[in-house]
Amino acid sequence: MFEEINHLALIGDLMQQMCVYLVVAYLLSKTPLFAPLMQVTVRLPDKLVCYVVFSGFCIMGTYLGFKIEGAIANTRAIGAVLGGLLGGPVVGLAVGLTGGMHRYSMGGFSATACAVSTVTEGLIGGALHLYLLRRHQADRLLNPMIAFGTTLVAELAQMAIILLLAKPYDQAARLVAQITLPMVLTNSFGAALFMRLILDRRETLEKYSIAFSAKALRIAERSVGILMQGFNEKNCTRLATIIQEETGVGAVAITDCEKLLGFVGVGSDHHLTGTLISSPHTLYAIAHNEVVYADGANVPYCCSVSKDCKLGSCMVIPLRGEANRVFGTIKLYEPKSKFFSSLNRTLGEGIARLLSNQVLAGKIEEQKRLLVQAEIKLLQAQINPHFLFNALNTLAAVIRRDPEAARQLVLYLSTFFRKSLKRTDNDVTLAEEVEHVNAYLCIELARFAEHLQVEIAIPKDLLSLRLPAFSLQPIVENAIKHGISQLLEPGKITLSAQRQDGLLTVFVEDSAGLYQPKPDSDGLGMNLVDRRIKLRYGDAFGLQVTCERDHFTRVAISVPVNVGPGPC
Amino acid sequence: MLTALIIDDEAPSRDELKALLATEPDVQVLGECANAIEGLAAIHRLRPQVVFLDIQMPRLSGLEMVSLIDPAAMPHIVFVTAYDEHALKAFEEHATDYLLKPIDPQRLAKTLNWLRNGAHPASQAPPVSIELLRQVPCVSRNRICLMGLAEIEFVHTDLTGVQVVSAERQGTTELTLKLLQERTLLARCHRQYLVNLDHIAEIELLDNGAAEILTRSGKRVPVSRRYLREMKDRLLIS
Repeated sequence: MFEEINHLALIGDLMQQMCVYLVVAYLLSKTPLFAPLMQVTVRLPDKLVCYVVFSGFCIMGTYLGFKIEGAIANTRAIGAVLGGLLGGPVVGLAVGLTGGMHRYSMGGFSATACAVSTVTEGLIGGALHLYLLRRHQADRLLNPMIAFGTTLVAELAQMAIILLLAKPYDQAARLVAQITLPMVLTNSFGAALFMRLILDRRETLEKYSIAFSAKALRIAERSVGILMQGFNEKNCTRLATIIQEETGVGAVAITDCEKLLGFVGVGSDHHLTGTLISSPHTLYAIAHNEVVYADGANVPYCCSVSKDCKLGSCMVIPLRGEANRVFGTIKLYEPKSKFFSSLNRTLGEGIARLLSNQVLAGKIEEQKRLLVQAEIKLLQAQINPHFLFNALNTLAAVIRRDPEAARQLVLYLSTFFRKSLKRTDNDVTLAEEVEHVNAYLCIELARFAEHLQVEIAIPKDLLSLRLPAFSLQPIVENAIKHGISQLLEPGKITLSAQRQDGLLTVFVEDSAGLYQPKPDSDGLGMNLVDRRIKLRYGDAFGLQVTCERDHFTRVAISVPVNVGPGPC
Repeated sequence: MLTALIIDDEAPSRDELKALLATEPDVQVLGECANAIEGLAAIHRLRPQVVFLDIQMPRLSGLEMVSLIDPAAMPHIVFVTAYDEHALKAFEEHATDYLLKPIDPQRLAKTLNWLRNGAHPASQAPPVSIELLRQVPCVSRNRICLMGLAEIEFVHTDLTGVQVVSAERQGTTELTLKLLQERTLLARCHRQYLVNLDHIAEIELLDNGAAEILTRSGKRVPVSRRYLREMKDRLLIS
């Protein structure tokens, strides 16, 4: 009966000791020192940290223990076993030795036995580490149940060693009888809790980073391409809505360098888009190209528009364009009732970078478009002088022979020039393109006479479909210039078209088959037409050339049907 | 009397020039051609004093054609072009003059006057261009073709003209053996034969000191005693 009470008291005392022990462990888990312990350590510096920390716990366990019958009831085993489990046999041995030596220096009849058993405990932890690693089950090393079991075995081993080594034997036997149950229980339980602590810490960190990447990804996904369409009030408001929804901050604002372009959330009643920037924080961020964080405590925040504004803290991040120049800001707000989460603060800078890149990409895209447009205009303006003078020469000959035909030719010539000089940027109907090409071909027919044959076989119902202006003529001109006019015998040009699966395809075929891909030089007109179509409708459309040497060259021009006129 | 030939691939263009020349009583148009290859043959056959030559023509341009004319038959060349980016090159090719399309009759009259009065026969000026030919214009079975130099096995003269022979086909060219020898890597092996060294399969030495070449496609080409030494040197045979 007496012994029973003694046991319970001892368990209680050891449990109290365990609490102190775990509080220390908890505090330590908040320091960077703990980071290497959160995984199975492999690198040498991590192993060193592991050794130092667990040796510390070993020694602390001994100190916190209390004297009983000339020995010390303690929680030293936790440090040694966990050191071995997480750090491996070498770390286990080192921790065991350190803890053991320390215990030995404290004296008592069980000093030697305790020193030896501590080393043994470290080695048991290490052995299990090795075993699980070999079986590729490293994850289970962090399992609290494994820690519990290992410590249980280690403590039992300690009792056995005490019985074997401590003298006199009867004193040792009495000691073991008294402390076995309390020490085995508390140590095992403590080791499991300690492991749980490590796991919790790890999960918190992982949750944070998972939440962070998930939010960042969702914002990126939802906002993709919005700003590429222009940095204006409409797009900025859309974007601010997305960011506010995803981050859950009180309010989000986007500004350029002068005025507010978008505001969503708390206070949107008086933060009106289009108004000039009045916040000193924003002006500072723009002027100095710096992130400004006004938490409302250290750095006071006060709405510059209305005294009644509920917003209490604010973060302003500059948006940077070419050469790192500021072209606007993004602002995240929290109301007075809420703290700014560090997650959102980190995210804020990421979002700003994302938006900056989008605007930059949009600008590059725009420049590319303008360039192609300018090139097309140049192409249109630059009527091939060979064509002009050859046409005039043909005309001179035809006037002599057949004035009526010559008159007709003059009309074709003026149609051709009128269409070429119109330089429209918009879509035209296929009928208009065919008219342009027809005028061109009629002149070439007169010029090459029996040398050239033309067939235009375009179904009438396709003539109302639209395609970018000036898509057909350069292709036909190429077919004559590099195809038919290089033939010693007569040749033929065939124009046809089909509509299939929402795709309008116009074919220009010559019977020469002399096409040779020259990516940079002669095909300028063709490349330009291809690039313009791809830029407007996407890479699935554009030009495709099939050539069978000396038989035919066929150029297929594909554009989608029923797509409204693009911005080009 | 001034004899003339018109070479231009565009019929209206030829008609216009013919009409203009018809007003000049002392100019006789001997013929007209629609491409440079026919033109070359016509020059050698008709020996005109002046050729009105278009520059942009299929396969063989007017500029390229001038360098292929037998120097002995070289007429005055008047380039006729729609656009003057070729002018400089035209004069390098020893053109007598050049006219721009559409042709101004007064400008044409000036050219004709010059031809009547003072122009020296251009035949004395050999073509400056010494570029190697890449292909030889031929006529075979009523078809005009350009034979790539690599495919030609040998060239020889017979009663009908200069024959160009490849493994698969054969054609008659207007170019002389002499010009081909100067402007290609074909080697002279006989007074009447040029051979492509790349197509020689074997050389059989005959008792009389001459030899016979067997080409890759199995055709026989005679080698005369006079040229055997030269052949051996070029083939590094001792």
